Amino acid sequence: MNTVALFAQLKLRLLVGNLRGDIQRKLGFVFTLIMSVFVSVIGFLLMSLLRLAPHDVAASIVVVVFSAMLIGWMVVPLLAFGLDDTLDPARLSLFPLPTHRLAVGMFTASATGVWPLATLIITAGALVGLATGVGGVLLGIVAVLLQFALCLVASRLVTTALSSALRTRRGRDVLAVAAIFVVLLAQLPNLLINSDIGDPAGMLRGVAALLRWTPSGMAAHAMADGGLTGLAELAVVALVVVVVGWLWIKALSRALVTPDSSTRAASVRRGSGLVDRFVPSGPLAAVVTKELKYIRREPRYRVGWFSSVVVALVLGFSVTRSGEVGASMPILLTASAGMMIALQSANSFGIDGRSLWMNAVTMGSERGLSTDLAGRHLAGALVAAPLLALLAVGAGLFAGHPEAIVPAILIGLGALGTGFGVGSVTSVVIPYTLPERMNAFSGAAPGQGGQAFVSGLGALLGISLLSLPFVVPLLFGLLWVSVLAPFYGLLAEALGRRLGAKIGFPRLPELLAAVSRPT
Amino acid sequence: MTEAVRTHGLFKRYGPQIAVAGIDLVVPAGSFAGLVGPNGAGKTTSLSMITGLLRPDGGQAEIDGFDVWRDPVEVKARIGVLPEGLRLFERLSGRELLLYNGRLRGIPKADVEQRAGELLRVMDLADAADKLVVDYSTGMRKKIGLAAALLHNPSVLFLDEPFEGVDPVSANTLTEVLWRYTASGSTVIFSSHVMDLVERLCDWVSVMSAGHIVAQGPLEKVRAGRSLNQAFLELVGGPRDNGDSGLTWLGRGKQEPA
Repeated sequence: MNTVALFAQLKLRLLVGNLRGDIQRKLGFVFTLIMSVFVSVIGFLLMSLLRLAPHDVAASIVVVVFSAMLIGWMVVPLLAFGLDDTLDPARLSLFPLPTHRLAVGMFTASATGVWPLATLIITAGALVGLATGVGGVLLGIVAVLLQFALCLVASRLVTTALSSALRTRRGRDVLAVAAIFVVLLAQLPNLLINSDIGDPAGMLRGVAALLRWTPSGMAAHAMADGGLTGLAELAVVALVVVVVGWLWIKALSRALVTPDSSTRAASVRRGSGLVDRFVPSGPLAAVVTKELKYIRREPRYRVGWFSSVVVALVLGFSVTRSGEVGASMPILLTASAGMMIALQSANSFGIDGRSLWMNAVTMGSERGLSTDLAGRHLAGALVAAPLLALLAVGAGLFAGHPEAIVPAILIGLGALGTGFGVGSVTSVVIPYTLPERMNAFSGAAPGQGGQAFVSGLGALLGISLLSLPFVVPLLFGLLWVSVLAPFYGLLAEALGRRLGAKIGFPRLPELLAAVSRPT
Repeated sequence: MTEAVRTHGLFKRYGPQIAVAGIDLVVPAGSFAGLVGPNGAGKTTSLSMITGLLRPDGGQAEIDGFDVWRDPVEVKARIGVLPEGLRLFERLSGRELLLYNGRLRGIPKADVEQRAGELLRVMDLADAADKLVVDYSTGMRKKIGLAAALLHNPSVLFLDEPFEGVDPVSANTLTEVLWRYTASGSTVIFSSHVMDLVERLCDWVSVMSAGHIVAQGPLEKVRAGRSLNQAFLELVGGPRDNGDSGLTWLGRGKQEPA
């Protein structure tokens, strides 16, 4: 009991300590608090309203919701929060705590918090919505508690088992890229429902029939059943909780004696010097070479490139589904892909972050900054151009308008160039720090969310405005203007870069400070 | 005597707090200079302002007679920097980092490759040359950072805490390279709070405390017969009592039976 109180206090202390002094964090916490109250109230109400639905439908829904919660608990902490202070067992390994006390403590710490409470409230809503009779209520209370415990224990098992992997650089790199797949996967149900594969009720029944045999499903079913079957099911769930808990303790004691991170590092191939064949040796070639390596090696770049292409594809896909597939589809798709890729350069120096000093100490004049930007754009274009061509060819063939392929490529390149031009200006006017670890919820360092928003919006508006001269004629079917698009893009890039260097060079120390914020 | 570095009333404040209160730092050319001071004395802020990475709120800084903020081309070609915290381009290998750095400064590729190879060998990093910097240990990072700062043969080298967290073997390598470098007439300025090291390496010392320079000059003069540590504690005002007031339970002497 002592341990429970101690760890609950520790967690609360950490929560409070996190807030001290920083107005941004306080606002963030208040926002989280409001969100969680909102979510728990709505969740509780919706769950209790299930009483109005037919009993079997309600039961199916609860089965699905419980399972979704369990999965959410297992996945979300990995992606969004990593290992917070109370969760990382390595921090506690020096204290003389027997493993079982540590486990009880860690469990308490995980149960203390805003979101666990919200989970408990929503889960309890099912009690109102589903339980019938005295037996149902009694079993229901146990089921709610078991489901809650299961969520926590499973969540802890996953983080603990992966904690040593997560502390290595490679593990975190993999996770950063994996995050984007999960975000995409979350879109899947949406797409499925939109594509009216079957009637929703039938689908719900099918899914529920499948999930019913998972531990969460059994807890939900026991609540609906309220009889002996339910009792047996709860016994099974309890057993699962105990087993998962035991596995977690095992993983915990193993994690405590496993070294912090592996230092085995792979070597990289020596550069092939391909760039040097095309670019004259000097600062420009240096920046191009480095940027190309970064696009390949830095997870944040990989995520950025991947998501730009996916967003463009989704856009093209939804246009295609909305009816007529004309010659405009490949053009639209390629242009938006070019724009999405160029949008990444709206904060060119963000990924360099605190390493940017290394460039800054060599930049003696505006020319230096301009060369730096040119190198980044050239590297981006070297990857983007083949990609855009590929997209254009694919889209043209898919839409049955092969004649649109060439205009699509040209327009795509134009959009890319325009985006680079606009990006050069936003990069120096509204620079911000990109967090070292990607997560799905913030794209900037604490306190710079506003800058990130303004920068992204500004770049988007700028690109759209500057694209008008060749968007309008295209709308009237004047495809020949696409010939001019790449030149227009080149011009926009050159002018934007010059303007960016002019504004940026005198502000170099401020630029450096803005991208070097602690995250 | 020519000066490699001279500042006039260099000043920086963060909100109400004055980080650097108008210092006149002087470092003669060809010296191995130590900038010492307790944590928070303003060493890093001063070095950042002198190297053009942080805009001062007032005052001037000159390197080899060129104003840092009016003549950045001349200044930036002359200095090498190893800042605090050691943020390098983590996703490049050690060798790639050096090549990048050299070529960014416009040194021909063949020369850069030769210099990088020699530096990697001297720094004992040849085995790790093709591993990513993100996987380097602290000592390796300091060494690759120093190699990057030396690559273009600057005339003044600024090092912020170059020996912090470095093992004795690596530290020895670092000092040998730096000795050789200053022996040829180039200047090194490094910040540290390890007095023994400063005493062993430097011939010129500037002592900072709470944003001011409280002593500056040749090592022998600042030290004035004392050990540098003693002189330093007297200059910056260390704790008066020796911690006798509390902690009576600490140590094995008066252990109570458990």
